[in-house]
Amino acid sequence: MREYFKNIYEAIVTILIGMGVTFRHLFVPSVTLQYPHEKLKLPERSRMKLFVNIDDCIGCRQCERACPVDCITIDTIKAGKDEDLGAASNGQKKRFHVTKFDIDMSLCCFCNLCTFPCPTECIYMTPEFDFATYDRNNLIFHFSNYTPEQVRELKEREAQQKAALANAKTGKKPEQK
Amino acid sequence: MEMQEVLFYAIMAFTIFSAVIVAFANKLIHSAFALLFTFVGFAGLYIYLSADFLAVTQIIIYVGGILVLILFGVLMTQDIYDVKAIAAHNPLLLSLGGGAFTAIILAVLISKKPWFTLLNKEFEPTTATIGKLILYEYLLPFEIASILLLGALIGAVYLARAEDKDK
Amino acid sequence: MEPILKLFTELLPGLSPLLPYWLLATLSALIAALVLFGFIAVFALFAIWLERKISAHMQDRLGPMEVGGWHGWAQTIADTFKLLMKEDLIPEKADRFLFKLAPMIVFSVSIASFAVLPWSRDFIPTDLNVGLLYILSISSLAVIGILMGGWASNNKWSLYGAMRSVAQIVSYEIPISLSLITVILITGTLSMQGIVQSQQGNFLSWNIFHYFPFMFVAFVIYFIASLAEVNRTPFDLPEAESELVAGFHTEYSGMRFAFFFLAEYANMFIVSAIAATAFLGGWLPPFSFLDFIPGPFWFFGKSLFLVFVQMWLRWTLPRLRVDQLMYTSWKVLTPFSFVLILIVSFWQLLTL
Repeated sequence: MREYFKNIYEAIVTILIGMGVTFRHLFVPSVTLQYPHEKLKLPERSRMKLFVNIDDCIGCRQCERACPVDCITIDTIKAGKDEDLGAASNGQKKRFHVTKFDIDMSLCCFCNLCTFPCPTECIYMTPEFDFATYDRNNLIFHFSNYTPEQVRELKEREAQQKAALANAKTGKKPEQK
Repeated sequence: MEMQEVLFYAIMAFTIFSAVIVAFANKLIHSAFALLFTFVGFAGLYIYLSADFLAVTQIIIYVGGILVLILFGVLMTQDIYDVKAIAAHNPLLLSLGGGAFTAIILAVLISKKPWFTLLNKEFEPTTATIGKLILYEYLLPFEIASILLLGALIGAVYLARAEDKDK
Repeated sequence: MEPILKLFTELLPGLSPLLPYWLLATLSALIAALVLFGFIAVFALFAIWLERKISAHMQDRLGPMEVGGWHGWAQTIADTFKLLMKEDLIPEKADRFLFKLAPMIVFSVSIASFAVLPWSRDFIPTDLNVGLLYILSISSLAVIGILMGGWASNNKWSLYGAMRSVAQIVSYEIPISLSLITVILITGTLSMQGIVQSQQGNFLSWNIFHYFPFMFVAFVIYFIASLAEVNRTPFDLPEAESELVAGFHTEYSGMRFAFFFLAEYANMFIVSAIAATAFLGGWLPPFSFLDFIPGPFWFFGKSLFLVFVQMWLRWTLPRLRVDQLMYTSWKVLTPFSFVLILIVSFWQLLTL
């Protein structure tokens, strides 16, 4: 009989304690982050979206080779002999037109392997993490500055140079435009 | 009064229709569920007899108690969906005799009482009257009934506990 | 009926001589039913939103925040539209007729209970002189609806849920009735309006403070049992998500599920409203000088407070085990309410 009343007493008291706890939590500020409106600030060096500082790229294609999933595609065209493309910020001379520098973030595995071989440290990962889109093609990021017309021009020039070189080898005189 | 009559016939039709389903449904479970509507219809008829307390008690006891008991019994039975109601298996003569007997009693009762004057009766609350009658005039039958029910309760508990003892 | 009829004829004075009495009565009853339905729907929308908000804040979350702007107030409206547009699925081996009938019964039962709730001195759909008994009897009808739905789904979870629900409701109806009998003993009437009127005065004359602390215990007993009656945590065994998927409404989807859901929230309001009427003075203000605020405000406020307590308990307590459930009802609540009846009637004899 004593046990019975003790049980009832305990049940009531513990329920009241529990209700007190929940009532207090009713007024505790929530821990929820309203995501699209406010974002969690990631550490500076977190490995999220890849970024290429194309002004510093010398077109050496080392990142392309390092990538284990082949998500980086680079096209380069050699600069002309008298053409000066300038230098990267650490003094490396640019010898190539980087006509295409595409990174497919849908393939990227965030391994960070591409950033280490880069001689000018122009490819690196940024803390930006929400780049979801409705179309998979929007995940291919284009970093090259060259317009399609420029690319076509450069390609034509390269083709001409090659042809000239081939002609020189066979001994013929190069045609002048 | 016009609308009351319309409503009365509607409730009558409702009750009789559901009672017919109770009697003739192929599946036992449908009969059991149709009983719900019969009981509710009955409660409505009680209200027309200005027996408000009786109507409410009818629903509490018959729907809340007895119908639930019946449903539990039906649901707990195995393969209840396949069991066909077996009204046709009763001996024809016996059922006809029983039906005729009931019909005669009903006919005698109906002819003796002026039934439909009740419709025009003013509605009065009956709860207080019933309570006073039970506790003053009919106290002894009431107590006897309660003792009988108590006995049934204790017996049921004993029967339910007996299984435990064997184990 | 009469007060509503009066209201109706006073609102539209030109109508009363034009139309015959029976048409007027039918029309006013129809309008009352529509108003009640609208009230239930709006209240359920609000209560679901409130429940989500309360649960979220008790767990240090925010809950719905997007739809409709301010704290996601339109979330449940959007959810309702989603439910309305969903495909109406009926399991192949279900008993189609009973399957369709069950949500109707459950919902119409909860609508029928609103018929005797007193909102103010004049505003009560119908002041039955057996009002309290009427509500008790009507709520026992819902059991059949639940059993019907659980059985007709032809699903093990549904049937288990329905069985549990019925066993639970039948058991907890006893402490509910017994604790309300103490109220009837004090007020001496079964009519809801009569019960409210007998508590006239300031809040100390409410039934809950009558014969202190015994009526308070009766109120607690009623409240606990009513939680079980409407299948809410900690007594939500019939719908126990972790055990029975969703209990008796596992197979229901779309509109039919919405009706079960509406009925659940309507029932929450009804049991709270009964508690407010029987123990907390219904539409009476706590102090008599607050008389100028109309009755529906107090009635709704008190009921809403009790609904809030229900939600509060839900997000505090875990679910009971089946044996604990039966223990609570038969070995704690029922004996206590019997003792309370004895005490209250004895006290009444002494002060006669």
